[in-house]
Amino acid sequence: MKQKMIKGTLILLGGTFLVVMLVLPLATVLVYALRQGWETFSKSITDEYAVKALQLTLLTTGITVVVNTVFGIFAAWTITKFRFRGKQTLTTLIDIPFSISPVIAGLVFILVFGRIGWAYPLLEAMNLKIVFAVPGIVLATIFVTFPFVSRELIPLMQAQGNDEEEAAALMGAKGFSIFRRVTFPHIKWALLYGVILCTARSLGEFGAVSVVSGHLRGKTNTLPLHVEILFNEFQLTAAFAVSSILVLIAVIILILRNIVEHRIKREKR
Amino acid sequence: MYVELQNINKKFGGFQAADNVSFSIEQGKLIGLLGPSGSGKTTLLRIIAGLETPDSGTIVIDGQRVNDLPASERGIGFVFQNYALFRYMTVFDNIAFGLEVQKKDRAYIKERVGELIRLIGLEGLEKRRPHQLSGGQKQRVAFARALAPMPHLLLLDEPFAAIDAKVRKELRTWLRETINKVGITSIFVTHDQEEAVEVADEIIITNKGRIEQIGTPVDIYKNPATPFASKFIGESIVVEDYGRFHGFETNEGYATAVLRPEFVHVTKVDKELYPHASERGKVEDIFFRGNVLELRVNVGGEKLIAYRSLEDDPLTVGEEVSVLIYRLYLYNDRQVQLVENASLNNEQTFYI
Repeated sequence: MKQKMIKGTLILLGGTFLVVMLVLPLATVLVYALRQGWETFSKSITDEYAVKALQLTLLTTGITVVVNTVFGIFAAWTITKFRFRGKQTLTTLIDIPFSISPVIAGLVFILVFGRIGWAYPLLEAMNLKIVFAVPGIVLATIFVTFPFVSRELIPLMQAQGNDEEEAAALMGAKGFSIFRRVTFPHIKWALLYGVILCTARSLGEFGAVSVVSGHLRGKTNTLPLHVEILFNEFQLTAAFAVSSILVLIAVIILILRNIVEHRIKREKR
Repeated sequence: MYVELQNINKKFGGFQAADNVSFSIEQGKLIGLLGPSGSGKTTLLRIIAGLETPDSGTIVIDGQRVNDLPASERGIGFVFQNYALFRYMTVFDNIAFGLEVQKKDRAYIKERVGELIRLIGLEGLEKRRPHQLSGGQKQRVAFARALAPMPHLLLLDEPFAAIDAKVRKELRTWLRETINKVGITSIFVTHDQEEAVEVADEIIITNKGRIEQIGTPVDIYKNPATPFASKFIGESIVVEDYGRFHGFETNEGYATAVLRPEFVHVTKVDKELYPHASERGKVEDIFFRGNVLELRVNVGGEKLIAYRSLEDDPLTVGEEVSVLIYRLYLYNDRQVQLVENASLNNEQTFYI
């Protein structure tokens, strides 16, 4: 009886908390977005700048995910399959983005590549523009999201050990073939999970991007930045309409994530 | 000599896993690398395989120096301690892997894998995944996988460690027979002396990164070259004050003695044959070991182990008995010496 009451209370508390903190705000986004009717909504999201921002966000996310996946696999492979000095340091370095505020990450890029940065003359000479341009946005996003893939892979690959890879190598299999036939089947779901987390984070990244972007409409504005601009201009309906795109993508990602999680659990059995 | 290690050294941080190790192995032999855990035996195996690089020293296989040859080109089959089967591949694909890497044609691969599956007696299980196999079956698949590319040398790391006791005995016999049938030079690592004695043609005893002794099981048993070897093979107890036993004198050079159950003969007091050579003891425990009784006899505070035939008059716990010690191994830090019971000799000559 007492047990039941505790259980009921806890579920009620948890449920209430989730509704107040998560469901209500998300629902508000949709309600606000559609407040002035479907027409305003569709106008807001098909607005030239909104579409440009969406394109830039997708482009940035695409590049980031590819780079971080490749990097994540390499890093996890290096850390788990080899013995070397400074391994612990490398593992810690990979985690830096988790512990640094994104705003600081953005500032770091300004300090390095911006007009006051030490790399600026070099970039100028090569006619490259990083800060207040797309490359800067991509770099900042990569920086913020780069632990996601490797963090998913490292524990799994550590648990697996090197025996299977050593066995394959002894039989004459080469690096890539070992990866494709022995390692990859083992890590594919964890890898996908990491990629999904990385995607979700890239799409929504605001802080670091905000610093390096320069907020040039139609040029260096990502979707989250666009929302902020609309909000600051008191175009609340438009701001929420554009937000609803991000919410929609987030929901899709959430569903994918759950499917993958389920698969990982099944693999483990 | 088929495999030769010359002055191999290997350190992991401060741990000396191989300390100037040299030995050689004849072709076609089944060799057991025997030693306690941490004795460096697995490291030696991995050095031969090319999975570890020695800090110094030479490895020769079939007359060729292979130090700089990558593991895959040494013509070695390796069976890992936990099998390391590819868990996402079927039994067939596991065995076929090495052949596929060598780009053999499909008909050949099919034939060779079929042949090996018959050899290991797993017909009908080709489509199974490793997790659907028992420990013994996994072991056999790992063995077949290592043999598939026709290696010249087979290395097995603790091949029976992960298998339960009952299957282990059966698998030992099977492995020995199969290796003989295939006729491949093999080295296996084990910490289990019974396993080494039963399976190996020749045993290499390792301890603290050094080789203690090399020889046939009988050889090592009869003439242990080092104190460690004398204690490691066979059941034995260590006695410090051996000089007080009748027929043995304290030798200044040797601080302690090793006493094996086979060296101790226990009789009823009234049937004592050599009173001048014998001690009195008290039976403390009697264990039934299937074909023999194992006795624990207290002789002046030392607990000796002795065997007694089931045919002899039964003894009871607490009974006073006569204990005859035939011989002892005396040893110090470096040497071992076999000493016979002197009183026994005198007494015998006296009677003759």
